[in-house]
Amino acid sequence: MRLSILLTLPATLLSLIYAQEQHSYTEHLHLKPLPDNSLYAGFTFTSTTPYTAYASNHFRYFPRSLAQILQYTHTAELHLRFALGRWDEESWGSRPRRGLREGGNGVELWAWMDGAEEGWSDLVNSLSGLFCASLNFVDSGKTTRPVLSFEPEGTLEELQRKRSRTGELRLLHGMLPHEVVCTENLTPFLKLLPCKGKAGISSLLDGHKLFDANWQTMAVDVRPVCTPGGDCILEIEQTVDMVLDIERSMRPRESPIPRPLPIEDVTCDETKGYNGHDTCYPRRPKGETAWSLSSVFGRPIRGSCALGGSEKQEYDITFEVPSERTVEITSETTIPQSTTSSGSRTYRLPQNADFDLNLPHQVLGSSAQASTLEQPPLYASRQLTGHGAERGGMHTLLRNPHPYTQRIVYLESLPWFLRPYMHTLALSGAGKMEKMFYTPLLDRKRGTHLELLIEIQPLSTVELTYDFEKAILRYTEYPPDANRGFDIPAAIIRVLPSSNNSQSKQGSYLRTTSLLLPLPTPDFSMPYNVIILTSTVIALGFGSIFNLLVRRFVLVEEVPGNAIAGVVRRVRDGVARIRGMVKGGGVGRVDNGGGGVVKKGEEVVGGEVRKVDGGGRGGKKDR
Amino acid sequence: MRLTNFPSWLLALLALPLFTAAVHTSNWAVLVSTSRFWFNYRHLANTLSLYRTVKRLGIPDNQIILMLPDDMACNPRNTFTGSVFNDKSRMLDLYDDKGALEDLGMGGIEVDYRGNEVTVENFIRLLTDRWPSSHPHSKRLMTGPQSNVLIYMTGHGGNEFLKFQDSEEISSFDLADAFEQMYEKKRYHEMLFMIDTCQANTMYSAFYSPGVLATGSSARDQSSYSHHADQDVGVAVIDRWTYFYLEFLETRMNSTSSDIRLGELFDYMTFDRVHSDAGVRYDLLEGREQAVRERRVLDFFGNVQGVEIETGTQETQNDWKKDLEALQELGARAESQQTAPKSKDKNATASTAANGMPNVSRVSLDMAQGGGSWLKKMAGAASLAVLGGAWMASNKLTKQYAVK
Repeated sequence: MRLSILLTLPATLLSLIYAQEQHSYTEHLHLKPLPDNSLYAGFTFTSTTPYTAYASNHFRYFPRSLAQILQYTHTAELHLRFALGRWDEESWGSRPRRGLREGGNGVELWAWMDGAEEGWSDLVNSLSGLFCASLNFVDSGKTTRPVLSFEPEGTLEELQRKRSRTGELRLLHGMLPHEVVCTENLTPFLKLLPCKGKAGISSLLDGHKLFDANWQTMAVDVRPVCTPGGDCILEIEQTVDMVLDIERSMRPRESPIPRPLPIEDVTCDETKGYNGHDTCYPRRPKGETAWSLSSVFGRPIRGSCALGGSEKQEYDITFEVPSERTVEITSETTIPQSTTSSGSRTYRLPQNADFDLNLPHQVLGSSAQASTLEQPPLYASRQLTGHGAERGGMHTLLRNPHPYTQRIVYLESLPWFLRPYMHTLALSGAGKMEKMFYTPLLDRKRGTHLELLIEIQPLSTVELTYDFEKAILRYTEYPPDANRGFDIPAAIIRVLPSSNNSQSKQGSYLRTTSLLLPLPTPDFSMPYNVIILTSTVIALGFGSIFNLLVRRFVLVEEVPGNAIAGVVRRVRDGVARIRGMVKGGGVGRVDNGGGGVVKKGEEVVGGEVRKVDGGGRGGKKDR
Repeated sequence: MRLTNFPSWLLALLALPLFTAAVHTSNWAVLVSTSRFWFNYRHLANTLSLYRTVKRLGIPDNQIILMLPDDMACNPRNTFTGSVFNDKSRMLDLYDDKGALEDLGMGGIEVDYRGNEVTVENFIRLLTDRWPSSHPHSKRLMTGPQSNVLIYMTGHGGNEFLKFQDSEEISSFDLADAFEQMYEKKRYHEMLFMIDTCQANTMYSAFYSPGVLATGSSARDQSSYSHHADQDVGVAVIDRWTYFYLEFLETRMNSTSSDIRLGELFDYMTFDRVHSDAGVRYDLLEGREQAVRERRVLDFFGNVQGVEIETGTQETQNDWKKDLEALQELGARAESQQTAPKSKDKNATASTAANGMPNVSRVSLDMAQGGGSWLKKMAGAASLAVLGGAWMASNKLTKQYAVK
């Protein structure tokens, strides 16, 4: 017994060491200055875990919280995006990572899962708890099943075979264009990292700078990678891409409002005629702006996050600047650096020291300035057309800037309250619709799913249009800020790889901006106004008409007296009698007798008569 | 057989509350801002200030439920992206103070319900814990009979209601019934309910569940005011009542071992400071005012935990007895509630001190006794008379013209 344990010990140790190697973590930062004083920063964090360890709940760098959600919901591959802003293709060129790690404005989620529909609902609910986002709003009405737009990044078939599962994994996709992306989403994102933003390149990530960027996207991608016949590993790649405005980022945090400089500090443009003694037109500074990592990101990088596997990595930071540009390194230790063949510089982070890059002000030669921007595969823009609260139109322009034909997949997932008229769908220009996948909407249950495979001729523009009708929502279906309008999620465009250039089966992606659709919105105080106004009108109108109909109008003389009037008159009568007694005795005696007679007979008539004729005469009449 | 045990378990039951009443073993906080839109920045800042305070005093993030209906930090109107301030000095960033002093920072912010998720339905579901099974744990109030709960609400309200997102309201009765459900489901040991809104004190008048201590910023027909505005942010940044709460908590509660009593905290909210009559309702707690005022502030704002040693197997055997006891208690309470109004008819004014459930009929008493309402009625009658006079005069005039 003991012997057997002793014998197996080396084997288990070996397997442990082997398993350790498959637990790995690497991180990488890509920096690239863009025109117009912008800086692109792309952070990549990758951790892996062997599938066997994942199945037995043993984690080293892979985040346990996310892994448990994936296990519980039977999710094989997951893609989650938080995005803000717009990538300016005209001035910044093609998108980083071919648009693969980019999302539509707000939150986007797609996953391959096996199992029933409840898995998806569980997944969005769990992720909403983990990432502090309202992902639980991705219900059946916002979920689509794209056919052509997405390809799994991992080796899903291998995995299925390995787990000896039959049945196909299903792809589900959901978007929340209205969702705000802010610091509370970054906090859980950083918590998934092994260094939690305390060391390594993730120490640069700060909500104040990240969400002040012109464009930013955070992505979480989990995929299984299996070697044919070998083992499977599960890989999580977390990326943050952003474009910072250098000048804006360097404003001090306590006073970010730009205020005019004192006149002594302004370099004036002397060519202008209207400069005064205290005002002048400032001259545009020549050359490159001076900046450093710590001034743009608010702090330097705090050492490296040297964990398993990262030792093998040659460098942590790639800095893509023209070779003429001076870059100073500020660090206590010497930093190994090198220059790659493409001309970008690479650095390795020191173990336990801060690291900063410093770029002084510099005027570069013309050759360096004309850095060529890579042309994007496609330009796309989408607008709402039409007017009025009933109908509208969608208009999309797709421009192929390349001298070869391109095939694209255009995916639109529309909310149910936007009802497209499919007979008006038209494609004009030098393009051809090859295929169409269309799932019509069901009110309140399912949105429209429209997927088109389009071929675009070289150097030409294609125009896609269709009309739609706006649905009228129920009173309770409006959100609290209904007058703002309703967000329509971005259209996703996948440019399929051309057959001659098959570097990847994914192709590249781009997304249009999300749209704001004004729906017919009631004035929400209206019901109360209506109730109050109607009640008033009914009270006045109905009341007076009712009175007119029911009341009988008679002259005052015709009005019969009533009991109270009789009593009043008798009292008045009594007073008059007492007055009479005071004036003279005779009248009083006669009146007394008369009163007695009246009391016996009809009181009311008597009173009436007396009122007209007076007490004395009444008495006489009775006699 | 069971009945023979009667006296012994009755004794045990009598002894039980004595041991358990003073102990709580966990602290939870529910912090709710209920108003959307940029100009309500201060309500978000109020809530975030409380969030920071309870986190500073030791309640961990997973025991704080934060509900924020709008996004102020990343709002395009916010010049200070990613920041929310509660003072014009802007020394403290409530949203994420990681930048200045990293080691002392809060370690980020976690918002549990945000945007359109902040609804009356979700709030009541949160309190009563009625959720679908897929609801994540981080968004649930997982309290038990040993948990002290702090509930803070701020927004725009009126007499016995509080608006949510400018589109729906929660009334004091909804809230009272939700608390009663919590009581019946043993979801709290003691609760401190704080509310900063106009006519805030009316929100707790309907409460009737034991163990609830309530405090509000302003009396009936009073407004709650904001403290000051920041010219660079462009809007008011904090409300007066919350401001002085924070001032007290920041200056007096310097550590998690501060021994400050609730009475001092409540007395700090004078009319001169708050500019409205802050109110406290003590009567639902055991021991009434004197005992409650001697409670430690950290019982609700901190994470001070008592330790209770469970006696393993006995617990399961006596479960049904405990349930029976709870049912009996509920029945007794219901009976006392039914009898309470009768005794009030006899002696309405003296009832507040003597009766167990004094504030149930408080609203109606206020209506009958308040001089203000008589004035209002007089004003109404006068205006009616004026209108009637005008109508008669016009009738006469028309008659005259008709004659002419």
